[in-house]
Amino acid sequence: MSAQNIRDAVIIGGNRIPFARAHTAYATAGNQDMLTSTLNGLVARFGLQGEQIGTVAAGAVMKHSKNFNLTRESVLGTPLDPKTPAFDVQMACATGMEAIGSMANKIKLGQIDSAIAGGVDSISDAPIVVTDELRGILMEANRAKTVSQRLKALAKIRPGHLAPQAPGVNEPRTGMSMGEHMAITAHAWGITRAEQDELALASHKNLAAAYDRGFFDDLVTPFKGVSRDNNMRADSTLEKLGKLSPAFGRDLGNEATMTAANSTALTDGASAVLLGSEEWADQHDLPKLANFIDYEEGAVDFVDGAEGLLMAPAYAAARMLKRNNLSFSDFEYLEIHEAFASTVLAQIKAWESEEFCKNKLGLDSALGTIDRSRLNVNGSSLAAGHPFAATGGRIVATLAKALHGKPGKLGFISVCAAGGQGITAIIEGR
Amino acid sequence: MITEIEMPSLSSLYGRAALGAARSKLRPGAGARSLPGKTMLAQHPGVSAEQAESYRRLFGGEAFDGAHRTALPSVLVHIIGFPVQMALMSQDEFPLPLIGLVHVANEVEHLRPVRVDQPVQILVAAENLRPHRRGTQVDITVTVLEAGADPAGAGRASSGEASVLWRSVSTYLSKGAQLGTEISQASGAEQVGSSAVTRSEERESFVPPVKTASWRLGADAGRAYAAVSGDYNPIHVSQLAAKTLGMPAAIVHGMYSAGRMLEGREPEGAGHRWWIRFEAPVTLPGTVAFAAEPQGRKVVRFTGWNPRKAKRHFSAELQLP
Repeated sequence: MSAQNIRDAVIIGGNRIPFARAHTAYATAGNQDMLTSTLNGLVARFGLQGEQIGTVAAGAVMKHSKNFNLTRESVLGTPLDPKTPAFDVQMACATGMEAIGSMANKIKLGQIDSAIAGGVDSISDAPIVVTDELRGILMEANRAKTVSQRLKALAKIRPGHLAPQAPGVNEPRTGMSMGEHMAITAHAWGITRAEQDELALASHKNLAAAYDRGFFDDLVTPFKGVSRDNNMRADSTLEKLGKLSPAFGRDLGNEATMTAANSTALTDGASAVLLGSEEWADQHDLPKLANFIDYEEGAVDFVDGAEGLLMAPAYAAARMLKRNNLSFSDFEYLEIHEAFASTVLAQIKAWESEEFCKNKLGLDSALGTIDRSRLNVNGSSLAAGHPFAATGGRIVATLAKALHGKPGKLGFISVCAAGGQGITAIIEGR
Repeated sequence: MITEIEMPSLSSLYGRAALGAARSKLRPGAGARSLPGKTMLAQHPGVSAEQAESYRRLFGGEAFDGAHRTALPSVLVHIIGFPVQMALMSQDEFPLPLIGLVHVANEVEHLRPVRVDQPVQILVAAENLRPHRRGTQVDITVTVLEAGADPAGAGRASSGEASVLWRSVSTYLSKGAQLGTEISQASGAEQVGSSAVTRSEERESFVPPVKTASWRLGADAGRAYAAVSGDYNPIHVSQLAAKTLGMPAAIVHGMYSAGRMLEGREPEGAGHRWWIRFEAPVTLPGTVAFAAEPQGRKVVRFTGWNPRKAKRHFSAELQLP
C-alpha cells in the first residue's frame, strides 16, 4: 500500500479512573471491574451507547486465568454494541502503548474506522496460584484412570506444596526486581539522588497543578469514591524526600540513590483511549485532539548486563526519530514514563551522550538534549502511580489533550517495560 | 587396571560412608597413604527423558523437545558420573574418609554431545593425592565414553579421541587429614586442576563485580537438586545433619551453582569447557549475588557471592567453542 492511501488515526479522547495505591481504595475491585468502569466512562463521555466500535484492544499484566478474555468480557458489560470485537494485549508496562499503536495502525490502513485501546492492572487482586509441584500432582491425579492411581498421585502432596504463590515481581531470567536492575543502570550513568528527588517532586507538583486547573476534568472519572490519584502528594518537599532511605540497590552502600519516593508505587487502575478516522469522528461529532503519527518497539539484551533492563526506549527513539526525520527539539512536549526517576534521567543522559549514541545507537553524534520545561508537564507515574497496562492510555490521553489546539505541534512518548522492552511514539496536535 | 562395576546406587554408598567415617582412615599423625591404582568403569543406560525434564524444571531452561534441544547440559553428565566417583572413594583402600570431603573445584571438557537416552561408559580414577594447608586434596577424573568403545587408555587419551564425549576433574579436600612427608614432597604445591588455582591473597582482596542476577535459594534448594541428581548427601538436605557435620546450616550442592550459571549459556551441543572453584559454601536459605561477565566472544567469567558479606561463593569460567 502506498503512503498516500494511509489516512490519519485521530485521538478523540480518553478516560481513566483515578489510580490508587495497591491495597487501598480499590482493594476489592478486580481488573474486569476497573476496565468495565473505565470503558463505561468513555462511552458516557462520547455518547457511544449502542455503538459498534471497530475493535477494542486492552490488556492487563497481572491477569487471572479466569480473565482469559478480559477485554471482551469487559466490553459485554458496557452499553457498547455487543457485536464489538475485542482482544487482549500484553507487553508488560508497554501493554497500553502497544494496544493504542496497533489500533491506530488499523485505522490508518482503513481496516477499521474506530477503536478503543487501553489497559488495566490490579496489584490488590493479583492472581495467587498453587505451587508447580502441587499443580503437577493435581494434574497427574486428574489424568489417573483408576482410584488407586489417583490416590497414589495425591499421596505425593507435601505441606510445602500448599503454600500459595504470589505472582513474581522479578525478571524471570535474572531473579532481580526491576528496581534492582534500575539501580545498576542508574549507578552506571552516575545519576544522583538529588536529581531523582527533584524529578519526583516535579511530578507531584505538575500533577497537582493539572488537577487544580481542571485539566483532568474530561480525562478522569471517579471510581469507588476516589476522584484524584491517591498516590499524589502535592505538599511534598525535597527535604521530606531527602529523608527516605534507599529502597533499591542497597548493596551499593552509600552510593544507593533509589528510594520509595523516586520509584513508582505499586498501583491499581485502568485507562482507555478512543481513536477513529477523521470521517468517523466527524460523523459522530466528536473532538479531534491529536493524530497518532508513529510508534516503535524496542528491546535490549539485558540478561547478562550488556544493557540496562529499562533502556530499550533509548534505542527505539533513535530509530523512530530517524524514520520521521525529527529531533528532540521538534517536540512541544515530551512524556517519558517515570518507572523510576532514574529511568527518565538515564534515557536523557544516554541521548545526550555522544559515546552512547555513536557506539550503541550507531549515530554520528548525540541524539540531543531534552528541554526539561517540556517534560512530563502534567505529572507522570511517580505522582499518578503506574498500574502497568494502564500507563499507556494515561499518557496518550494526557498528551493529546495538552497538544489539542496546537495544530502541528508534536508530542514524544517513551515507555519502558519488563523483559528489556519499550515503546516510543509520536503524536501531533490538531 | 580397570575394574568394571554395576552402576552404583548413591543411597547405599552414603550408608557405607557413614560407617566409613567411624573407621580409621587418614588422621592427624597417621602415616603416608597412597591412592589405589584402580580405575572404575560402569555402563550407564543413558539419562532418561524424565530425568532430563526434572533437571530442566529445576533450572528453568529450554525444553528437551527432541528437535532443538537433545544434548544434555554438562552438569547433567556430571550427575550420572557422580555415583561412580562415590563408589571409587568408598573403597576401603581409598585413603580419605568420604564423609566431610569438600568439593573445592571442578573442570569439565564437554567434547561431544551426550544425548537423552544415549548409553555411555563412565570411567573414574583418582589422581594427585596432595597436601593442602587445611588437609589433603585429591582429583577424581571422570571420562564419559561412547558405549562399546574400548575404555583401555581412554582415561588419559587426548581430547581428540573420538570415543570420549566428556571428561572432568573433580577436586575434593579432606579437612584435617594429613599426608606423610614423602607424598607431600612428591606432589609439590597446592594446585587445583590447570586453571582453577586458588590463592589465598586473591580471596582476601575480593571486590564484587556488577551484579547481573540474584539467586534466591529456599531452604529446600538442596533437596530439590538432590531429587534431580540423586545426591542426598545429608549436608545438603538436612539442617541438623549439616550442623552435626560442622556446617553452620545446610548448604547447596556446588554443582547446583555450576548448573545454574551454565543454563542458557553453554552451547546446546558440545565443544566447550569450563571450570568452577568453590569458596564459601552457600548456606540455605540464602541469596547469591551473581555476575556473568563476557570476556570477548568466547569466554564468560562468572562470580557468585554473598551480597551482604561480600564473601565469594565461587568463581568460574566458560570457554565457548
